[in-house]
Amino acid sequence: MRKCVTFAAFVSIQLRVLTMRPSVGVFLLLGVLALQSTAGVSAQESHDERPVRIVTLYQGATDTALALGLEPVGVVESWLERPMYRYLRDKLPAGVRYLGLETQPDLEAVAGLVPDLVVGTRYRHAAVYPLLSRIAPTVIADTAHDVEAMLEMMGEATGREVEAQALLAEWRARVADFRCRAEARLGDAWPQRVSVVSFRGDHVRLYYDGFARSVLDQLGFLRPAGQRGSGWGIKLVSRETLPALDADAIFIFMRDDAAVAELHREWTAHPLWQSLDAVEQGRVYYVDPVIWSMGAGILAAHQLLEELYEHYELHDVVHRGEGGKC
Amino acid sequence: MSSAVVVRLAGGRLSLRFERRAFAVTLVLAVALAASALASLSLGSQMTSPEAVLEALVVPQRSDIALIVHEIRLPRVVLAILVGACLGVAGLLLQGLVRNPLASPDVIGITGGASLAAVSFLALGGAALGEAWLPMAALSGALLVAMAIIALTGRGVTPARLVLIGIGMAAALGAGTMLVLVLSPDTTAMQAYVWLTGSLYGAQWREVAGLAPWALVGLPLALVFARRLDALALGDELAVGLGTALQGSRMALLLLAVALAGAAVAFAGGLSFVGLLAPHIARRLVACRHTGLVPASAMIGALIVLYADLLGRIAFLPRDLPAGIFIAGIGAPFFIYLLHRWRS
Amino acid sequence: MLTTPEARLMGLVMGALLALAAGLASLTLGATAIAPATLVEALLAPDPSSVQHLILRTERLPRALIAAVVGASLAVAGALMQTLTRNALAAPSILGINAGAMCFVVVASSIFALRSPLALAWAAFLGAFVAALLVALLGRGRDGGFSPVRVVLGGVAVTALFVSLAQGLLVIDQEGFESLLLWLAGSVAGRGLDMLLSLLPFFLVAAGVCLMLVRQLNLLVLDDEVVKGLGQRTARVKLLAGVAVIVLAGGSVALAGLIGFVGLIVPHMVRALFGRDHRWVLPGCALLGAGLLLAADTLARLLMPPQEVPVGVMTALLGTPFFLHLARRRSFTP
Repeated sequence: MRKCVTFAAFVSIQLRVLTMRPSVGVFLLLGVLALQSTAGVSAQESHDERPVRIVTLYQGATDTALALGLEPVGVVESWLERPMYRYLRDKLPAGVRYLGLETQPDLEAVAGLVPDLVVGTRYRHAAVYPLLSRIAPTVIADTAHDVEAMLEMMGEATGREVEAQALLAEWRARVADFRCRAEARLGDAWPQRVSVVSFRGDHVRLYYDGFARSVLDQLGFLRPAGQRGSGWGIKLVSRETLPALDADAIFIFMRDDAAVAELHREWTAHPLWQSLDAVEQGRVYYVDPVIWSMGAGILAAHQLLEELYEHYELHDVVHRGEGGKC
Repeated sequence: MSSAVVVRLAGGRLSLRFERRAFAVTLVLAVALAASALASLSLGSQMTSPEAVLEALVVPQRSDIALIVHEIRLPRVVLAILVGACLGVAGLLLQGLVRNPLASPDVIGITGGASLAAVSFLALGGAALGEAWLPMAALSGALLVAMAIIALTGRGVTPARLVLIGIGMAAALGAGTMLVLVLSPDTTAMQAYVWLTGSLYGAQWREVAGLAPWALVGLPLALVFARRLDALALGDELAVGLGTALQGSRMALLLLAVALAGAAVAFAGGLSFVGLLAPHIARRLVACRHTGLVPASAMIGALIVLYADLLGRIAFLPRDLPAGIFIAGIGAPFFIYLLHRWRS
Repeated sequence: MLTTPEARLMGLVMGALLALAAGLASLTLGATAIAPATLVEALLAPDPSSVQHLILRTERLPRALIAAVVGASLAVAGALMQTLTRNALAAPSILGINAGAMCFVVVASSIFALRSPLALAWAAFLGAFVAALLVALLGRGRDGGFSPVRVVLGGVAVTALFVSLAQGLLVIDQEGFESLLLWLAGSVAGRGLDMLLSLLPFFLVAAGVCLMLVRQLNLLVLDDEVVKGLGQRTARVKLLAGVAVIVLAGGSVALAGLIGFVGLIVPHMVRALFGRDHRWVLPGCALLGAGLLLAADTLARLLMPPQEVPVGVMTALLGTPFFLHLARRRSFTP
């Protein structure tokens, strides 16, 4: 904080000089100033106490912060179920300030909250990171979907390593439990190859990457052979490409919207849809769009897992393996 | 002669002649710009009074809003002014060059080149290189397109050909941009769309420092070159008769316009209409030769971007909307009105 | 160039064969290749249990028909516009007609929540009309004539206007953005036959108007002096032709989004073959336009299956070199 003030003092001295000079001088000195501003101040990430005033600038960070038992003073709006996803809403403190969209959070409001810690992500906030770190100590997550890495990073940044490790252990135990039960339930059909599909207003998306896909990978699910492409996934517009979706099971999420529902009706009524393996086996699961594509934190991951337990009816699986312990 | 103000520079070797009306208008615009900048500095999601802002500017040690004023609002205001000035002047140069008041950097593909480069950069994960490279990518896109236009136009840079080839390039670049957008995931596409619309969100001194050299060199140069535009405005035969090196002048003016527009777009995204609107308004206010039009266009461009950005910042709190939306929404109808007047 | 009526008739037959071949390619090529024999079977004796028959009847056929209608409409609209403005570079996409239609459709669907194809088509007609009016206003010089560069610049300014308005709306309305992006890029995929059928009357009326006007349109190509002498008669022809352009281009946008350059390229190719007589130019444009868009759409879905390149992107990339070639020429009259 002190560094900011001294820097600002320097700016103002320069500015007072500037106001007396013709415009050319203004530009020149501003240039010099700006150079100094980038060189002079760097992020301050060391802190003595555990931060209490935390601002989270993307959905995964809000989710993770709440999982760690923190009470953010400022969060960004959600993409659906505005202003905040229902699964997180009642965990948020009452006076929390909404800072606009994840893509362009209101920086002044962040500064106005005088936070101890700001959490952003490289994919959104790399450009404003220098500014954020002048407002408050800032950590920038490097991964978009890796729940475990995010948990560890935030635990460290907030001085809650112990809590983070406990949550991590709990999560890994549950993952192991899921694998064991799924194997017991499905036998040779495990591990399954699954597709993650989303219906939109005018096209259908098949995801190769993303939050849901990364959790499914961790749980031991596989990808169909055709889905090895790099990048986030593909958009399909013609029903004749339906076979590209095929897998042992298909997870579908979609928004509650008339155009989406219509497209979904058209596609699922098509004979090519009916002839997909997953459809014939009755393994098409409709899942929550918020949990599967937007929450992107440890709480969402738990809920996703819970949905899988329900769909595969794993709660009542009793371990049957030789010495297996589910 | 009595109605003119002559500014002599460099020991009288360079003199700029302003008509008196242009001089007065420029002064009024400068005052308006300063007042608007102060207003913009005082407004935001955090309530601050102009006095507190002034105090923060002058004695930041005593102010608790120094950070907001110096680090968040001031760079954004300065960037808006620089961007608007560059675009306004670039539009003026192009319109004079093509002798058509409908030309502007976005029409002849300069913005399109910057856009395709920037959107590809975002979509191909250029962020991994560091966001600071985005303006570089956009600027090189703009310059490459300008070079392609010049190469395709061939030796005789006639206004008509220049503009038509620019339009063709713009269409192809737009298609390329669309392809990249369709193939990228939502989040990138949205980010790219915000960029295409033009936004000054998150402006920092780093960006100001990046644009300042271009404005610093380009705007005075435009002032010096403006006289050639007056000669060009008379038509090819007369201009040659007056001893103007036609092709050389056109090339220099084109490059200058591309540099100004490319640099502005690189740091603010695909703002359209500023380069189209600012010179029109300037002409209505000043009604004189190009030397007087340059500062007026620059300041009007700056005012347009400044107010559009201010609206984007405070009209839909806590959302921060791209300035480009407001320029298009208010500027477009105004533009049609202007054209109507210009015809009758 | 074909000069005798017999040669021209042969030319039209060849054009029809080309369009048919493109149609055949569009019907048989794709994610699953379908044999021409199966095609005949599917059309004459459809078997509800056959997946290939179903793909043909539910996907490929509507798609091919829409591509054919849109391609033909855009090409004819382009030819009419080039005659009306006496400008070789005129086309619905260049002169902002498509952008106007697009902007109004975005407004209708994101602000007024209109979804039915017919309502969107009316929005598109209105947008095309407003854009045409603006371009006519901007393109006309002091002497009342259309100068090529002025018209094109006016068109580009109008395009910029409508595109940035639509862009602004889409940035505010993010959900609308997601579902409109593909449509904006131009696509004939995933539209049902019902959509085509509900708009077909408009296309037919426009085609009828064109048939009625062919002889009078030939007068517009004549020298300025002659046209001026004809006075009142040409005003009515221009008005009707203008309405036909708006319906053809607006309807195409409502069906398939922004598809550029078809209206620019095809009339030039056709005039190179048939000369300037509209009795031959308009049918030629319809046939070659349909063929071109069918071929572009087939290519668009074969490039990176199972994804598709939006066909509007394909036509723009194919058409730009052609536009640049025209722009480098000395004269701009068609």
